[in-house]
Amino acid sequence: MASTVQIQNVSKRFGRLEVLSDVSLTVNAGEFVAIVGPSGCGKSTLLRMVAGLERPDEGQVRYKERPVTGPGPDRTLLFQEHALYPWRTVAENVGFGLELAGVPAGERRHRVDAVLDLVGLKGFEAYYPSQLSGGMRQRASVARALVVNPEMLLLDEPYGALDAMTRAAMQDELLAFQAELGQTMLLITHDMEEAVYLADRIVVLSHRPGQIVQEVQVDLPRPRNRGDIRLVRLREHLLTALHTTHASL
Amino acid sequence: MKRQAAYLAALASILLVWQVASLFLPPFFLPGIPRTIERLVTGLKSGELIIQIAPSFLRLGVGYALGALLGGFLGLLAGLSRSFGRYLRALISLLQSVPPITWIPFLILLFDFGNIPVMVVVALATFFPMALSVLNGTEGVSRTHIELARVMGASRWQVLTKVYLPEVMPSGITGAQVSFGNAYRNLIAGEMVSGASAGLGWTISYAGEIADMAGVLAGILVVGASAALIDNLLLERVKHRLLHWRSAGGEQRG
Repeated sequence: MASTVQIQNVSKRFGRLEVLSDVSLTVNAGEFVAIVGPSGCGKSTLLRMVAGLERPDEGQVRYKERPVTGPGPDRTLLFQEHALYPWRTVAENVGFGLELAGVPAGERRHRVDAVLDLVGLKGFEAYYPSQLSGGMRQRASVARALVVNPEMLLLDEPYGALDAMTRAAMQDELLAFQAELGQTMLLITHDMEEAVYLADRIVVLSHRPGQIVQEVQVDLPRPRNRGDIRLVRLREHLLTALHTTHASL
Repeated sequence: MKRQAAYLAALASILLVWQVASLFLPPFFLPGIPRTIERLVTGLKSGELIIQIAPSFLRLGVGYALGALLGGFLGLLAGLSRSFGRYLRALISLLQSVPPITWIPFLILLFDFGNIPVMVVVALATFFPMALSVLNGTEGVSRTHIELARVMGASRWQVLTKVYLPEVMPSGITGAQVSFGNAYRNLIAGEMVSGASAGLGWTISYAGEIADMAGVLAGILVVGASAALIDNLLLERVKHRLLHWRSAGGEQRG
């Protein structure tokens, strides 16, 4: 399998605060990798480096063999907050990336309609974000990322602000998109249940400065059952790993 | 409707105090409403007042446009560059407490009597609130909104036009409204003290000099009414048009 992202011996500090220390990680094409770790362990920073919003102090991040020097339309970041523009309607928000790329209005409408249909927001084109529920905003945000056909989605705790039921529904939708479109996924989360349900591989980061303390392959067939005893055991195992790193510092 | 009722109540109370006071004071000191209205009507009919409105609006238009554009532009630049922002803030805090009309002696020496000193006063009165409001608005632009645009592949220019401009717009409009009030007050004051020989402010000070109190009051009525009209009919409309997304928040969908 071809590797998409290569994170090589990356360290990062903000002022005197060391947030990442010698992290190396490879993500293969089409793979779903989740990074878990305590808050402040630099996992968001790691994701932002892949997105091209931060640069490593040491080491290198490569995307498809080329060093990442800035954001690119092949990798789209889904923000923690939905980050829709309040002055744009749903259709205008979703079409934002196409508009930036100079796609003509007719084709834009066509593609926006198709992706809104996919995420279940058909009929809400003319609504403003303030008129939508939290789940619908997140759907619009996913639609905005999908409409530009990225090869890779970078997810920064995308469902953290949603209630449990909406979150479960959104996770299933995400898996459905991936099954259909085949993107590579890199997910940041502190929700172990989310990680074990979604990911092919889980990477555990230690407390700051973040270092990889464990990598776990989740070899369970899909579709997975949330109540599957193997998932529950794996979650316990990860929690223990996390607590040990916490305690040792 | 509620807003209009409040407006009417405020207007009625002002008129009531005026009319009651005029009953106790001699007419050469405080003429009543009927006499003032009569004076206003003759002034409007003879065209005397209209002639005075035109130069005032010219000065207001030029000065306000100049001050608002410059204030908006420098405010935006200051919001984008931290060091220029600090400098502009310091400049504003030093200069904004000086009433713009205090520069008039200087301005008359520089530009001679005429429209320009008043225009400069109006521009100064517009500039400070506008620049400050746009500066604050620009500094408050959400980092996530900017990063999002970068992630989606926006160029620097696109970040400016598609994120900064719409996000700063509400502060820009607030600034435009605040500075309009400031500009208008300074326009009238400037015309009263700049040795101008025409304009609403000049009419009022001239009427005062010849002890024509009905003329003073008629002038004040025109000043108050025209400012309220411009604010309500023009600026509020522009605001609603540009910020219609803000009033769309009514309906929540689950």
